Amino acid sequence: MMRKIRAMWKRLLGLVRRNRADEDFSAELETHLSLHIDAGVRAGLSESEARRQALILLGGAEQARQAHRDGRGVLWLENFAQDVRYGMRTLRRAPGFTITAVLTLGLGIGACTAVFSLVNAVLLRSLPYGDPERLVYLFTPNPNLKIPAEVICPSYGDFYDIKRESRLYADMSNFEQVMFSVGIAGSAQHIGAARVDESFFSTLESPPDLGRVIGPEDIEPGHDKVALISHSLWVSMFAAKADVLGRDVQLDGAHYRIIGVMPPEFEYPFKTDLPYGNSHINSTQIWVPLVLDAKQRAVRDPGNNVSIARLRPGATIAQAQSEMKTIMARLDKQYTGETAELKELRQWGALVEGFTAISVGPVRPLMRLLLASVGLVLLIACGNAANLLLARAAARERELGVRAALGAGRSRVVRQLLTESLLICVGGGMLGIGLAFLFLRTLPRLDPGNIPRLSEASLDWRVLLFALVASLLTSVTTGVFPAIGASRLRLTESLKAQGAQGQATGHSRLQSGLIVMQTAMVVVLLAAAGLLIRSYINVVSVDTGFSQAAVTFHLALDDRYKPGPPQSAFFKDFIARLGALPGVQAVGAVNDLPLSDSESITMLWIEGAPNKDFQQSEGRTITPQYFSAMNTPLIAGRTFTDADTTGNRPTIINQKFADTYFPNQSPIGRRISTDDKHAQWTTIVGVVADVRHTSLEEEPQPQVYNAAYDFGYAYFAVRSTQPPSVVVAEARSTLKSIDPNLALTDVHTMGDLVSIASARRRFQTSLLTAFAAIALVLALVGLYGLMAYSVNRRTREVGIRMALGAQRSDVLLLVLKNATLLVGAGLAAGLACTWLATRAMKAFLFGVSEHDPATAAAVIALVLMSGLLAAFVPARRASSTDPMQALRTE
Amino acid sequence: MGGKTDVWQGTLALMVLRTLETMGPQHGYGLARRIEQTSGDLLELNYGTLYPALLKLEQEGYIRSRWGASENNRKAKFYELTKAGQRQVRRAAAEWEQTTEILAKFLTAAEGA
Repeated sequence: MMRKIRAMWKRLLGLVRRNRADEDFSAELETHLSLHIDAGVRAGLSESEARRQALILLGGAEQARQAHRDGRGVLWLENFAQDVRYGMRTLRRAPGFTITAVLTLGLGIGACTAVFSLVNAVLLRSLPYGDPERLVYLFTPNPNLKIPAEVICPSYGDFYDIKRESRLYADMSNFEQVMFSVGIAGSAQHIGAARVDESFFSTLESPPDLGRVIGPEDIEPGHDKVALISHSLWVSMFAAKADVLGRDVQLDGAHYRIIGVMPPEFEYPFKTDLPYGNSHINSTQIWVPLVLDAKQRAVRDPGNNVSIARLRPGATIAQAQSEMKTIMARLDKQYTGETAELKELRQWGALVEGFTAISVGPVRPLMRLLLASVGLVLLIACGNAANLLLARAAARERELGVRAALGAGRSRVVRQLLTESLLICVGGGMLGIGLAFLFLRTLPRLDPGNIPRLSEASLDWRVLLFALVASLLTSVTTGVFPAIGASRLRLTESLKAQGAQGQATGHSRLQSGLIVMQTAMVVVLLAAAGLLIRSYINVVSVDTGFSQAAVTFHLALDDRYKPGPPQSAFFKDFIARLGALPGVQAVGAVNDLPLSDSESITMLWIEGAPNKDFQQSEGRTITPQYFSAMNTPLIAGRTFTDADTTGNRPTIINQKFADTYFPNQSPIGRRISTDDKHAQWTTIVGVVADVRHTSLEEEPQPQVYNAAYDFGYAYFAVRSTQPPSVVVAEARSTLKSIDPNLALTDVHTMGDLVSIASARRRFQTSLLTAFAAIALVLALVGLYGLMAYSVNRRTREVGIRMALGAQRSDVLLLVLKNATLLVGAGLAAGLACTWLATRAMKAFLFGVSEHDPATAAAVIALVLMSGLLAAFVPARRASSTDPMQALRTE
Repeated sequence: MGGKTDVWQGTLALMVLRTLETMGPQHGYGLARRIEQTSGDLLELNYGTLYPALLKLEQEGYIRSRWGASENNRKAKFYELTKAGQRQVRRAAAEWEQTTEILAKFLTAAEGA
């Protein structure tokens, strides 16, 4: 086998080095003859007789050369090259056809390749950890808490009991997310970090690039001031110098010694790696030891830890789930909650979820939707190319007939057609790869920020392979259809005059079928895009309950400000100064800003009402002017004043709370309590409008607000007539004048946050709309091409009709009717498919039914109108036929 | 068929390899002459077929060629065996011997009958 390949390689080289080899062999032949002649002369022959005999024995010099040449080159390859040259010539003679076909395929392949790259980056590319399929998160969902199951991980006490008892895990680890203020280039920056236990890196199976990871010796108090840093931090802080190990880094003012640097792609946990991680942390840059004393290790109330574990090879998530359930059931009986609030809640369940399910699970449906829609685009493109090739093969029936009559074998004809379609596909493939590059360039601009690794999407070899396979498949499909057509060629009939056209429409049933199918697919895509567009409009026009103009930023006080009066003093001072800035109308602060992915839940009891177990409400602490700053309307009662921030503080509730707990009665003056002993009751003094806190698309939950000034950290909201940049600049300088060591972070307008919250939707909507638009254009090109082609074929027939008295309008209508029938059939089929397909889209829709009649009507109108438009140009041409000229064709 | 016989299909390659093995590097003409002599001038070698055969052997990597000077100082292309060529001579020779043995058995059996 190797010999064969080697010989083939030499032969291929032979093709390239043909000239040199020819000269080389001529020289060799020359030597041969001279040696032979020398021998003849020595034997006593005359030189001319010796030459004659030498040539006879050689069998002729030119023949020998030819035999040698055949041995050097590859015959079939030369034939193929001839086919290619001939194909190129024919394609150049029909530029309209060639350009349309190449563009069509290029668009299909390009869109498909780009989306496949995207899906590859998000779903398929390997993560910088050992086998991610064996990584699982452990959660302890509580049926009494109406929060998502993946919020709470096991308490440290429970975690270490599970770790001791379980036999299913290779390793288990706990970590906590934390923000550090790090001095970089003279200014303090907040950087995402994690406190990790000694098993963190071994569980992830991620070795460092430099130095070592955090081990058991590092979690001892006194030895814990060590840190690992990310590759990007190593580059930005230490210029990627190798002597970074042992260097000092200051985190929140404390000194840490750097013991290692992680590889470039390791920044676990990313925001998308955790179901409910710290919303300020997009990726992790620093890892420090998590130090727990004996008491902390035995705590039975859940904390802020995340528990991740690696299953042993062969162990399944289902096994882990049932084992954890048994262990948790026993622990729940054995222990009670430690704080009063959690005592009754000692019903922690067990939930084991795969890491990949958490990190890419949420975007999987979106990726599938994109793949499905881009698959449709590719199908339409292939259908188009096939139709074009079919039309062309039919138009060349006579040419092929002549060639067959002159003795071309059927296989030779088919091979010629296949070569042509292969050429078109190669062109389309190259264009497609170019388009895919372009597409991937523009993609990051659409990045909604919550799709893992989207920005890393790039063309890699796998994608290239996919594109090649796609174009090869396309070439086979598109090559095979015309080849079938050509093989049905009946020699005599195609040589006869054009009388042999059987169909009344001038094109084959296969061609019509392709157009109907394309139209149907376009209808499905358009309907899907339409539904997404309507959903998007619904989402962005949802009543958020706040003004998008409010400028917000985050401020965290450090340890110098003690809870209570010192913090209150700072906040009162800062808010007063901000309020005095020119143009500022109101300033407020809140502990958890809407759409910032943070929420605190509180238990609640209502005085004089039949309370159910585990009644819950979201709770927020605000400064008195917060509602005014956010423009949240007051519905009943009053807002807070400074007097409400101390003593027995009153409560303001939202509309949803009022509707849930006080239906058809006034909540004002009623009292609620948030502790189970009911030691303290607070009076409801007002009702405000609902605010979309969690996301734009989720219904608001019952909400209580209390007023305060003593925050450790808070988000500020400023309503001003000045532009946001001015507001922020003035806020910064105001803060500097109070305390230069504090910094504003997370600066956004509420409009920015709405935009971020709707980014995923914008992403999917714009992509799908783009696909639908591409598909529509492709299908219209296909329809136009088919109509133009059949009009061309029916020139004679039209001529006869007109000669017999048909009006131009009759001819126009004839062609339009034909097109309408095709489009109509496609529409009907497409709407039927849409009815089935959009059901799978339910999860993507917001405020619109999956069988939305308005969308369907819009799609029908759009497809019919554009279809008629595409058919109109060829129809006009048909109706302007000059009967005399038409009858003379052929 | 006269006194001389044509070269059978597939045997020329083995003759070339074997000749190069015994004689060392040779140019095309020398090879042709040597093959004729070895056959006791029973073979009529069409020199024109020799060169494609040499080309094929070279492509397969059994022989290699280089330009050098012939005995009467003409520039000639010399062919010599490669390692793979030496192995191929032994392999092909063994195969050929086996074939002739088998054929010989048939022929003697036919005579005996």
